[in-house]
Amino acid sequence: DSRIGTENSVSSLIGRNNATSFQKKTRSKLVSIPGTRPSVQNGQLIVSTGVTSLDYVIGGGLAVGTLLLIEEDQSDSYSQMLLRYFLAEGVVCGHELFLASAQDHPENIMQMLPSPILDDNVSTDQGDRPPTPLHLHDPDAMKIAWRYQNLPKFQTTFGSSLFGHCYDLSKPMEQQVRQAAKCHTFYLPEEKTAAKESSHLTGPYAGLLQCIQALIQKEGFDGSSSQCTVRNVLRVCLHSLGSALWGDDLCCSESPTHYHALTTFLYALRALLRSSLSVAMVTVPSHLIQVRVVIMERITKLSDTTLTLESFQGSEKETNPLYKDYHGLLHIRQVPHLNCLLCAIPDTKDLAFKLKRKQFTIEKLHLPPDLSESVSRVSKVELPGCGPTSKHLDF
Amino acid sequence: MLLSVLQEKEAGGFVVIQDTASYSGRQLLKYYINCAIKSEEIVHVLGFEVPEQEIRKGLDRNYVHLFHFHNAYSDPLGWTKQSSFRVKHFTTPHIIQLVNKTQNAKATILVIDSLSWVLRHHNPAVICQELQKLKRAEGSIRMTFGLLHKDLHQQGIVGSICHLASTVISVAPLDIVDSAVAKTTQRKKSGKVMQEDNFFSIKDDLILSIQNKPSQSGHVKADLDTNEGDPASNLTFNLRLSEAEREAKEKVALPFVFSQEKKSALLRPSQSSGQIMYEPDASDDFDEEDPDDDLDV
Repeated sequence: DSRIGTENSVSSLIGRNNATSFQKKTRSKLVSIPGTRPSVQNGQLIVSTGVTSLDYVIGGGLAVGTLLLIEEDQSDSYSQMLLRYFLAEGVVCGHELFLASAQDHPENIMQMLPSPILDDNVSTDQGDRPPTPLHLHDPDAMKIAWRYQNLPKFQTTFGSSLFGHCYDLSKPMEQQVRQAAKCHTFYLPEEKTAAKESSHLTGPYAGLLQCIQALIQKEGFDGSSSQCTVRNVLRVCLHSLGSALWGDDLCCSESPTHYHALTTFLYALRALLRSSLSVAMVTVPSHLIQVRVVIMERITKLSDTTLTLESFQGSEKETNPLYKDYHGLLHIRQVPHLNCLLCAIPDTKDLAFKLKRKQFTIEKLHLPPDLSESVSRVSKVELPGCGPTSKHLDF
Repeated sequence: MLLSVLQEKEAGGFVVIQDTASYSGRQLLKYYINCAIKSEEIVHVLGFEVPEQEIRKGLDRNYVHLFHFHNAYSDPLGWTKQSSFRVKHFTTPHIIQLVNKTQNAKATILVIDSLSWVLRHHNPAVICQELQKLKRAEGSIRMTFGLLHKDLHQQGIVGSICHLASTVISVAPLDIVDSAVAKTTQRKKSGKVMQEDNFFSIKDDLILSIQNKPSQSGHVKADLDTNEGDPASNLTFNLRLSEAEREAKEKVALPFVFSQEKKSALLRPSQSSGQIMYEPDASDDFDEEDPDDDLDV
């Protein structure tokens, strides 16, 4: 009872004046950056990728200071879409952007950002509907499991948490909104090759790295300059690294001359990200890379989160009825272990993506008899061949 | 889709026609050249592989003045120093200069015959970059056509070139004389990909006729597709019911099947909440004075 007494006195002290060193635990200053929040799992500061269902499957979002690697699909359409979502989320949250490309002009990519749906009039009537009365001749009426009739439908889509925004793919983002964001671009054909070849890097990657490095230092994302009080996050987007347009012959030759150019660059980039308030999304056309196993293994190890997009376009899976609702599969190759041994393990690895008219979503891929049914039966299953343990067969 | 390739509205289109030694795609390329000049567009051909006469043969006489041939066939490496265009001139500024020589406001169509030849003499990565630059030179070049013999290159090079293309047409021979199959893959700027297979034949006067799929082989193929695709096709047990079986099944009265009224009564959420009735007995000895009686303090 004495303990309770002291606590009371402390709180009354604080109430009167702030004379004690005891302070209420408040969130750190970093959290005040718009568009970020601490992760539920490990407290890391995370940002949204722009696709809420993708955030969910990679464990809430992208931790600031990490690198998300996306292996492009064959036609690069879905990976570019993720890139646009990532940029659009940055624009809406007021983050600074850095966009590098060797193929499409960054300005053209920026023009295709999806428009955000900012009003909260998104219909959330699912499940709130009044229970429909049973009809005798309703073909959908449940006959055996009728007690489940009025339960809301099982949803395969993931978390609609309030983190991240929704976007309408059918409308481009308004120009004023787009131009309000600070966007730095790097378009390889227009860059002067004045990069000092001081480091181990050569060629376009050296220039790109120097450009990012200079930006991070100048804008104070590394926390060095004390004069800028408003902290912000830098979103780095690098499109199609390793393709021939970056002057890399990984895709063209089985014995590339600059074997280590991309891996060295990614190593340096990760070091840069770790020491600053920035987060990167890098896409790689892995289907074109010739010595794929070796190179992709290394690149995966050098990035934090790795995803592969496998489009059904042109493959035999396109006609498979199992996949008829989806446009491709999403493989999670790697999830980061940040400051702990554990990582966010997705509950299922069978993920598929779907492109609706206005929205790109990631869903669980499964046939109607779902996982939960088998879970409850596992304990009852008896090993065959262990002799007649029970007389009655349990169906 | 094979016919509408030229009508592409998006600027900076890049069409790759892929062929192999067993069927040449040059005839299809010539068909597109012919179509282009007939719609009064200027065509510039960078010829490395065949002489000018062979490309000109069969083109519409009335529009031949729109056709420009840059001869790199007779002296591709500049040994005799006769030709003005050589393989080493395959750079974007040079090509744009060539194209702009013909004073015309209209954007032109560039035809590279063939990319394979150029790839032999340049670094493939550099060629990819040049092609990308040509795609962006929208002011002077509306569309680029390139012939690529895919059996001459490593898969990665073919993949990289096709990755840049907005349309890829792969041609392959058929068993039937004079006709071939073309697989067209078109990628829009929005990221939408469309694919189509066509059976076609081109006559000497460059008239393209698209045939219906040969009925038999087409049917067999479609059947195979559905058979392979259905996950419930190769089961060891019967998953389906015939109509008679279904009727018989529906007649069987199942245990614990309630009437409609009872079901809806059970499903209706009950209005009254439950109550917990509890009567303390001897073991629930509760001392008001000392609430911590049961603790070993």
